[in-house]
Amino acid sequence: MPSILDSLALGFSVAFQPDILLYAFLGCLVGTLVGMLPGIGPLAGISILLPATYALDPTKAIVMLAGIYYGSQYGGSTTSILMRIPGEASSVMTCIDGYAMARKGRAGAALAIAAVGSFVAGTFGVVLLTLVAPPLANFALRFGPPEYTALLVLGLVFLAYMSSTSLIRTLLMACAGLLIGCIGIDVMTGHFRYSFDIKELGDGVGIVPVAVGLFGLGEILSTPSHTVADKVATPRLAELMPSREEWRQSAAPIARGSVLGFLVGIIPGSAHIIASFLSYAVERRISKRPEEFGKGAVAGVAGPESANNAASTGAFVPMLALGLPTGPVTAVLMAALLIKGIAPGPQLVTEHPEVFWGFVASMYVGNLMLLALNLPLVGLFVTVLRIPYAYLYPLIVMFCIVGVYLVNNSVVDVWIMLIMGVVGYVLRKLDFDPAPLVLGLVIAPTFELSLRQSLVMSNGNWTIFLSPQRPIAATLFAISAALLALVALSWLSRRDWRRGMAEAEAVEK
Amino acid sequence: MILRRDHVAGGVFALAGAFVLAASGDLPFGTLGSPGAGMLPVSLAALMTAGGLGLLAQARRSPALAELSWTDLPHAALVAALAAAAVALLVPLGFALTGTLLLFILIFLIERRPLVPALAFSIAATGVIHTLFSILLRTPLPRGPLGF
Repeated sequence: MPSILDSLALGFSVAFQPDILLYAFLGCLVGTLVGMLPGIGPLAGISILLPATYALDPTKAIVMLAGIYYGSQYGGSTTSILMRIPGEASSVMTCIDGYAMARKGRAGAALAIAAVGSFVAGTFGVVLLTLVAPPLANFALRFGPPEYTALLVLGLVFLAYMSSTSLIRTLLMACAGLLIGCIGIDVMTGHFRYSFDIKELGDGVGIVPVAVGLFGLGEILSTPSHTVADKVATPRLAELMPSREEWRQSAAPIARGSVLGFLVGIIPGSAHIIASFLSYAVERRISKRPEEFGKGAVAGVAGPESANNAASTGAFVPMLALGLPTGPVTAVLMAALLIKGIAPGPQLVTEHPEVFWGFVASMYVGNLMLLALNLPLVGLFVTVLRIPYAYLYPLIVMFCIVGVYLVNNSVVDVWIMLIMGVVGYVLRKLDFDPAPLVLGLVIAPTFELSLRQSLVMSNGNWTIFLSPQRPIAATLFAISAALLALVALSWLSRRDWRRGMAEAEAVEK
Repeated sequence: MILRRDHVAGGVFALAGAFVLAASGDLPFGTLGSPGAGMLPVSLAALMTAGGLGLLAQARRSPALAELSWTDLPHAALVAALAAAAVALLVPLGFALTGTLLLFILIFLIERRPLVPALAFSIAATGVIHTLFSILLRTPLPRGPLGF
């Protein structure tokens, strides 16, 4: 059996072929643009370009489509930082501190940190994919429905734990997201739920219309142009590189985001989104200056941007090694290979080594290409800030409409985006953070399916989640309980009910 | 009684939860051993109603609704209304015409920018987006009566 180095050498001999390099570059370029354009995520980009790969051989097709996927993770940060619009869902967390950095005149630094963090994490992810894919994939294989349920609950509790608003507000938003995720046909019984005879709602509410509405249009509605004229930063060339202090502050979050992102990435679900949320939570929680989060913390950009890139690479582990798609993007990528008569899975490495290792090697090259593409072009992207806001925001509104429409060619999706924009405006007024709603929506299908499967498996015995036979689920639930206890303790210590009542009475007077 | 921010927020969530509960009438709840299509949404709606009521109960700690800044509301309402009009016209008029109109009205009428730059920007931006999506990416944007 060839060693990993021999196999990698074979991979690089494939990846360095001029036509493979060209398709990797095309994928990375399109991916960066797809990530930047609000409303057009990697799934839409890959779906739109899937027919264009029919004439290509399998290696070129998968190299180009995967380049779009991980390239979009680089590009997604740009619009988040410059416009506070998530170019794609995994960049939602970057909006918070990335945009705050931009408002402080550090847009260039935020973009550079995001690009370097993405490169480090992407390359780290590929190294791990190369070296430790089999054991990690084996670990993910041990996850059954109870473990998924526990993991998703932990994700929500993590979010509540790190939230800047109160626990009750975060949980209400998560509930709203999970409820929106319940709209459509129930996959287990076929019941239509809350579709109100609108046939387009039968497939459920998409993540893109909700995320673009809440974070894109909602932001525009909350920002009258006369308030922006003096606030928009127009950084000079000298401001485009991070300072030594900013590099220092970003190093550890990039490292943590890379590890966390890869580990979350191998678990099925919209891992790159969850990874960025979790990374933000971790960085905020361990920071010595948590009050800076939301106001332009470097770690709030470096961590999530690294995590989403590492997760997008990690998602390839179960797809390539086990033939398990971890989400809709990897499902489409698998479909691209299946169309060519190549089945991803354990046999892929032995039966089509040139495809497997060529693809892995192309990701090393692709990450270098993306760094080269994104860093020199940072200045070009920053010029977007120089467009007067009175011209820029109508363009963003139009991009939101076009981007959301193009995902499914559905006007209903655009209406949903519009409604969510208004909801986002109202939520800001009422001091709610919309991020838990998006996370709830993302995890809703997997959460419901795994919860119900767990209950069916145990014949209705809910202790399956805490059973010694399920140590992973029990551990994850124990961590969730510990986090909730910590939240409760800090709430009790700061807010005695008598003091709270006295404060309330004082306010009332 | 002073109407406070969390009176509104809590009330909205409690009502939303109650609405979902009412709309879940025909969904089977099932049992723990055989969960139905209604189990998760009904549980979530009940949780949401309880959370909304909880927020209502502690609303006295939140600022008065009148203290919140609503100066951006007229602009927000205008932009939302124009965006809604654009969505309604997207299919009947097509993207090119709707997009140009939306940009022009927002820039010229709402933002009161000079006529010529506003018109030129509206036409050019719509043209670039139309070329990018409809021609280069061959993704079908709605065509109007003029064929584009």
